[in-house]
Amino acid sequence: MPAHVPNAGLTRRDLLKRTGGLAALAAFTAACGGNTGRPSSGGDDGGGAKATLSQWYHQYGETGTQQAATKYAKAYTDANVTIAWTPGDYAAKLSSGLLSNKGPDVFESQLNIGMVKSNQVVALDDIIADVKDDFQPGDLATNTVDGKVYGIRMIVDPQVIFYRKSLLDKAGIKPPETIDDLISAAKELTTNKVKGIFVGNDGGLALGGPALWSSGGDRLTEDHKPGFTDARAAQAFGKLHELYASKSVLLGAPTDWTDPGAINQGLTAMQWIGMWAVPGMQKAFGDDLGVIPFPALDAQGKPAVYSGGWTQFVSAKSANVDAAKKFVKWLWIDKEDFQEDWSLNYGFHIPPRKSLAAKASKLQSGVAAETVKLTADYGHTDDPAWTPKMNTAFNDMLTNVIKKGADPAAEITKAEKTVNDELSRLFG
Amino acid sequence: MSATERTSGTPQPIGFSRSPLGVVGMVGRWIALFVAVVLFLLPFYLIVRNALSTEADITAPDWTLFPKDLQWGNISELFNDTQVPMARAMYNSAVVGVLGTAGQLLLASMAGYGLARIPYRHADKIFYAIVATLMIPAAVTFIPSFIVVSSLGWVSTLRGLIIPTLFSGFAAFLFRQYFLGFPKELEEAARVDGAGYFGVFWRIVVPNSLPFFAALAAITFIGNWNSFLWPLVIGQDSSSWTVQVAMSTFVTAQTINIHELFMAVAVSILPLVLIFAFLQRYLIQGVTQSGIKD
Amino acid sequence: MSFWLFVGPFVAGLLIFSYLPIIWSLVLSFFEAYNTVTPSKFVGLQNYIDMLTDHNFLSSLGTFTIFAVFIVPLTFVLSLALALLVNQVKIARAFFRSVFFLPTACSYVVASLIWKLSIFNGVRFGLANTVLGWFGADGIAWLSTVDPPWYWIPLVTVRLWLQLGFYMILFIAGLQRISPTLYEAAYVDGAKPGWQVFRYITLPQLRATSVAVLILNLIAAYQAFDEFYNLIGNQNYGRPPLVYLYNISLGSIQDLGHGSAGALILAVIIMIVTLLQSRIFGFGKAGD
Repeated sequence: MPAHVPNAGLTRRDLLKRTGGLAALAAFTAACGGNTGRPSSGGDDGGGAKATLSQWYHQYGETGTQQAATKYAKAYTDANVTIAWTPGDYAAKLSSGLLSNKGPDVFESQLNIGMVKSNQVVALDDIIADVKDDFQPGDLATNTVDGKVYGIRMIVDPQVIFYRKSLLDKAGIKPPETIDDLISAAKELTTNKVKGIFVGNDGGLALGGPALWSSGGDRLTEDHKPGFTDARAAQAFGKLHELYASKSVLLGAPTDWTDPGAINQGLTAMQWIGMWAVPGMQKAFGDDLGVIPFPALDAQGKPAVYSGGWTQFVSAKSANVDAAKKFVKWLWIDKEDFQEDWSLNYGFHIPPRKSLAAKASKLQSGVAAETVKLTADYGHTDDPAWTPKMNTAFNDMLTNVIKKGADPAAEITKAEKTVNDELSRLFG
Repeated sequence: MSATERTSGTPQPIGFSRSPLGVVGMVGRWIALFVAVVLFLLPFYLIVRNALSTEADITAPDWTLFPKDLQWGNISELFNDTQVPMARAMYNSAVVGVLGTAGQLLLASMAGYGLARIPYRHADKIFYAIVATLMIPAAVTFIPSFIVVSSLGWVSTLRGLIIPTLFSGFAAFLFRQYFLGFPKELEEAARVDGAGYFGVFWRIVVPNSLPFFAALAAITFIGNWNSFLWPLVIGQDSSSWTVQVAMSTFVTAQTINIHELFMAVAVSILPLVLIFAFLQRYLIQGVTQSGIKD
Repeated sequence: MSFWLFVGPFVAGLLIFSYLPIIWSLVLSFFEAYNTVTPSKFVGLQNYIDMLTDHNFLSSLGTFTIFAVFIVPLTFVLSLALALLVNQVKIARAFFRSVFFLPTACSYVVASLIWKLSIFNGVRFGLANTVLGWFGADGIAWLSTVDPPWYWIPLVTVRLWLQLGFYMILFIAGLQRISPTLYEAAYVDGAKPGWQVFRYITLPQLRATSVAVLILNLIAAYQAFDEFYNLIGNQNYGRPPLVYLYNISLGSIQDLGHGSAGALILAVIIMIVTLLQSRIFGFGKAGD
């Protein structure tokens, strides 16, 4: 009735797409000073005076993350850095903020070419130049448009399938190696209490990319053409429907696939989830935990791991672009102890710097080590030319195929049209 | 909304209730009423049950009607949670709710009165321009609204939370309809004594319309208390979080802290439930009055 | 001028905080406006043409016309029934009124959380599935099942729970305005209690209230957003026009040109439907 302003929701699928984090209550300390999300003072053109920078985060799920972010900001002496920690709809808040003059100076997000075309972010080639070789090529590519690097990877979040070893042993099955194996394993693991696999309450939209990769396709080809239109792609999407229709998929769980709640509560034997959740799952199951990549479509295909994560950007609207760049360089390139802390002490993430990843002892044993290896072998990152509009069309296609059992080829044609329209808008 | 008939003042049992439809009808109606009460209260039961449960109780395979050990500690857990400024958020919501409601009623009642009573050539056009704003979905003018507010420099301020929400076309519309039905004789008596519009409005009309004001105040307060997206986007400073924003911290992209969330829900609706317990009588009276006509 | 003394402040605020954003959206709707509110590339009516040929947008409009066709009469009948029930009770009337009105205190966010986490989750500890279990039936993934479209059950019930009390109050107020002499006259004339009296006295006397309830309901149905956004999110089933547009404008897509065009198309549809309904029922006449 009197709502002039919509009551938007607490959860947001889009945000989940590439999140990193772990099952725990988000941290917030009212007392830790400097929580004003945005400086009141203007620029530092006068020189001398310290600049004030506003750094925006979405709300991570891991306990301690907000204190950590605040600690980093406080430790920086060349500028006053304030943290804006955002529960709820980070995408909406960020897009409003970036359009106004009260947005962040420094923020985390994922790059898409639209942000570059509309001059929302500045190139960071100068601050990354010295250490460029220390980043994985994929993590650079996902932040590069027209040869310029626009973001510094903060964390890498591989998404894979974790499973309960004991349940597979009991059913006498081996870890699946093809999608057909996966479907039959899910069926065999399903009892009246436990479902075979959990791939999200939406029926498995998160599997769209991995299924496509496992068939040998990609969302976009290197020369910016739709890469999801051949018969093998259609076959892979059809398999996702087969999985969904097998009645062995957990649906309607209170927590979504990004949360280990479903597997921890014993509702499912396998779950598609990110490495961030490993500490939480190990607490519940100890060694009774195995990991596999998304399996290959068939003998011709290859397994796939989605290598998501978060990246730091500098807003082009910042009044202190140089100071902001300096801060980003300090935190995400120079301060290795903080980067290590951020990646390893809350949830598990792979540090984007190869040199740090090599030293990360917590990732050198058990399922974490296996996940890191799978990521190196089969990891796929996002193409920044893949815009959110294309992604919506892609997800609509998946929903129609997976849930409604629509003909994959027909649905592909529909999505292809939207993607082509976008591509011709962007690349002529 | 306006009635076509003068009010009778006293509530009367009406329609099929006047003459008994026999015992069967009677029993049937009581059963219907009872079922409706149970269904309407069910969600409140769930709030209380979950708020006083442990995580394990809530996710247990077998339904527990009520947890064996009531977790009253969840209350102190919520308020002592140094990570979520719940008390501060309650205070912020109360301030925003009270000031926002007062301001909105003041502006809308004056506008409604002017439109209903003061002759002006273009009054109709202005009225339609106000009603038209109800049809534009706010979700999509959201970004321009935010840009307007941020260029005024009101981001992260109380002003930014309150002022843009004060101009409710819906409230102005209701007030106009209400004042159209306000007994003219009362006003005319005062005008004979030499009072202007301003005097008549404040000395005669407002004091005689308190139930209607109370009814709208309740509805407006709920709206302010419950709004989420605007406070989230405007309140970049976490000390300016409202209850709804603070509550949302229990649902992150990665996890949900169910028992603390439900305790927060319980705490957040308690003030409204209390307000209703007091105001519901006026609410009916106010709505009834909104249609008084000559 | 006293008129402006009274109306001026409100209109000034409305101009700044409603009309300025609306006009801004109107301007945006004629431009290519990706990630910007100050676009430079004029595209004429192209955004409108795109939206009117966008099958997702059209199908969400279609779905929501069907939604309105169901939810509006359902809300109408049930809130009227509640009002009649409560009004005929002789004891504890205030209690019953309060119970039915209480949900109005909850936000859509809160209600959606209860529905999603506690009542209609798809696993064994959801209340709905627990009840099904008592009858030996299998649990249902309420919000995830499109065939049959179970997801409408949580969506419709949450809206009814939140809204019925408010409309019930409007009807109770309307009922209390009906003069008892009308009923007495009817009985004298030999009208039978029950349906006849309801049909020929109560219902016609409630006309003004009924029209108000219908129109408020209809606008609310087309602007449905919160519970869909919270319960389903941005999936292409049960996706109301506003959730679709929200994702285009405010979500990650940030295509303000198409988003604004879609919003204005929606606004025009709401206006047309409201006007049509007013024509049919004569809304507004009573106020003039």
